Amino acid sequence: MVKIWTIKIAGPAGTGIKSVGNLLSQILSQSGYYLKDYSEYPSLVRGGHNTYQVSFSTELVFAVYRKVDLMVSLQTGHWQEHQKEFSKNIILLTDNDGGLNLPLATMCTQLGGKIYGNIIALGAICFLLNINKELALKVIKKHFGQDEIDHQAFELGWKYGADNFQKLKIDKAKKFKKEKMIVDGNEAVGWGLYKAGLNLFAAYPMTPATGLLHFLAKNQDEFKIRVIHPEDEIAAASIACGASMAGGRSATGTSGGGFALMTESVSLAGAAELGVVFYLSQRPGPATGMPTWTSQGDLLFAVNAGHGEFPKIVLAPGDQREAFELGKKSLNLANKFDVPVILLSDKNLSESNANIDDLVAEKMEIVESKKVIPGKGQKIKLYNSYEHDEAGFSVEEANKTKINAQMRLKKIEKIKKFLPKANFYGSIKAKKLIVCWGSVKGAVLEAMKTMKNKEEWAVLQIVSLWPLEENLEKIINSFSERILIENNAFGQLGQLLKSAMKVDFEKRILKYDGRPFFPEEIKEALE
Amino acid sequence: MSQWLSEIKPTWCPGCGDYVILGTLKTVLEKLKLNQDQTVIVYDIGCIGNMADFIKAWGFHSLHGRSIPTAVGIKNANPKLNVIVIGGDGGIYGEGLGHMIAAARLNLDITVIVANNQLYSLTTGQSSPTTPKGVKTKSTPKGVESVPVLPLELIKTVNPEALAQRVNGSQPQAVMKAIEEAIKHQGFDLLDINQLCVSFGKQLVQ
Repeated sequence: MVKIWTIKIAGPAGTGIKSVGNLLSQILSQSGYYLKDYSEYPSLVRGGHNTYQVSFSTELVFAVYRKVDLMVSLQTGHWQEHQKEFSKNIILLTDNDGGLNLPLATMCTQLGGKIYGNIIALGAICFLLNINKELALKVIKKHFGQDEIDHQAFELGWKYGADNFQKLKIDKAKKFKKEKMIVDGNEAVGWGLYKAGLNLFAAYPMTPATGLLHFLAKNQDEFKIRVIHPEDEIAAASIACGASMAGGRSATGTSGGGFALMTESVSLAGAAELGVVFYLSQRPGPATGMPTWTSQGDLLFAVNAGHGEFPKIVLAPGDQREAFELGKKSLNLANKFDVPVILLSDKNLSESNANIDDLVAEKMEIVESKKVIPGKGQKIKLYNSYEHDEAGFSVEEANKTKINAQMRLKKIEKIKKFLPKANFYGSIKAKKLIVCWGSVKGAVLEAMKTMKNKEEWAVLQIVSLWPLEENLEKIINSFSERILIENNAFGQLGQLLKSAMKVDFEKRILKYDGRPFFPEEIKEALE
Repeated sequence: MSQWLSEIKPTWCPGCGDYVILGTLKTVLEKLKLNQDQTVIVYDIGCIGNMADFIKAWGFHSLHGRSIPTAVGIKNANPKLNVIVIGGDGGIYGEGLGHMIAAARLNLDITVIVANNQLYSLTTGQSSPTTPKGVKTKSTPKGVESVPVLPLELIKTVNPEALAQRVNGSQPQAVMKAIEEAIKHQGFDLLDINQLCVSFGKQLVQ
């Protein structure tokens, strides 16, 4: 296996951790490295402690590693708490605070401003990584425009590196034939919704789903979509339902707390048969919980969202590419069956980048709803939250109520035939099966790369969380040892599977501290 | 029979003011020759919301309090549509008050007609946001503790360009005129139609 390098940059909020992280990811990607990145930050705007972390390699990387090879602290006191994450040959760069000295404050003074520390550090990092300087400067120019001082900052950092450090022995990458695109899960979902013909997106900001609102709002003219930020999540979901009734292809997005407010509309979409996508990016609850951290704690909430019994679909992408594919699929399934679709992500996927094949050139793929809508000369209909007949008028008769319920049951059966299948990795002859869902997949696959007796292991990533595929029981039970891995405390996928089929797990690996799984942890727990 | 009426006979109590609203609305829709395929009526939940079954038009009988944001979604998805919201004081001024303020600020071209009988009537007569202070109802046997919402004043405060009118629901000519003005008005408009519930309204006149 080729070496995977992990870099961590830390400092207080407001020092440009996120922006330098994005630049580094861009530079690495354009240099031909595969990468995954991950950021940690508290829910505040200035101060505190922010980190950006990236793992990259000349081969595909599925998840960010916990062990850090190069740590850069932008201000005093921001590396000490990460010592446990240091690899044996750690290279630590700090501003006169231990490790190799990178006098950021002094260099900032030379440039006449405190804010350039991050770009100076980027220059030093790029020197260490043996990056092509012209390529890096091009990325910086694209980001900052003609602002000369950022170039100077980079050059200053690079020169300091060249004068004082030695380049690291990193495998040279070949540039990708087709340039990769850096996207996080939120943006990938946005691209997917757009490529499935999204017309209207209504959302109220809530971390970690806000990125989707920002992405679609920024691109609304180019995508020719309406983006609305209304008074609350209830309005956002109601607007999405109204838009769908009028023939729009609509979606909304939020996190757990906002989704709690939207559940009446999930039920409405079920009753009135309206295709609407509810993007739910999880963070730890209960209540306000930890806004900027990650969790898979809302699976059963999503599956059970909305009062009453009605068809709904719950899908969960495991990486940025799947976020795009399922973003597209969710809007198409919503309209094909005129049902609510919940697209489940989490902070770990929504706000982390990967470099994947370009999405701009992807084809549009639009499955139209067959429902009648106003303005097209079709037969008039009333869309109704009450139990209703075909024309939409309210009914309460026992036989009609029963027939409607049966129709809804039948629809679920029909939907099952069109759901995306679970992803299976490894050999069907393996003995041990890991069952997981969502972003946990990345860390699991990464751990699998270096497991002893690799051939003994297989991984099943369940993509359609509701309705469940019927053959899951058969697949899971064909392995002699079954391990459930989830980023929550209850083992919710396990509970869900047990409620629907006869399956059992010999072992559960659960993590519920707001942090995602790292590959090392999974390997350690399995071996 | 009017092209705007369904075959379902209204189920309101005999003498209910909602008949006046149904009749006058139908007459105005006919008079203005609104394109039936381009007109959507969104109904809130409550006695007046049940009009959904009595009218033949593109419609959405939405959730309690959510008729206005639903209408905002419809109008945004297809701005060519004429969008009318029909609800009661409970749904529009109670559960949906924030939505009404937001839509008024947006000045979106929708018409909101409120049958304001100062009570929750479909649930058999509890206090509503417009019930006067001190009135005893089933949910407030010791008298309503809050002062009532003043919907017109609220609208005028948040957006002076919006049209906000009040009309006595027992005067069909006045209601008709007001509905016509409201539908013709470009931008957000609220028509507050005052009525007295024939079944549970006695507590308001004591």
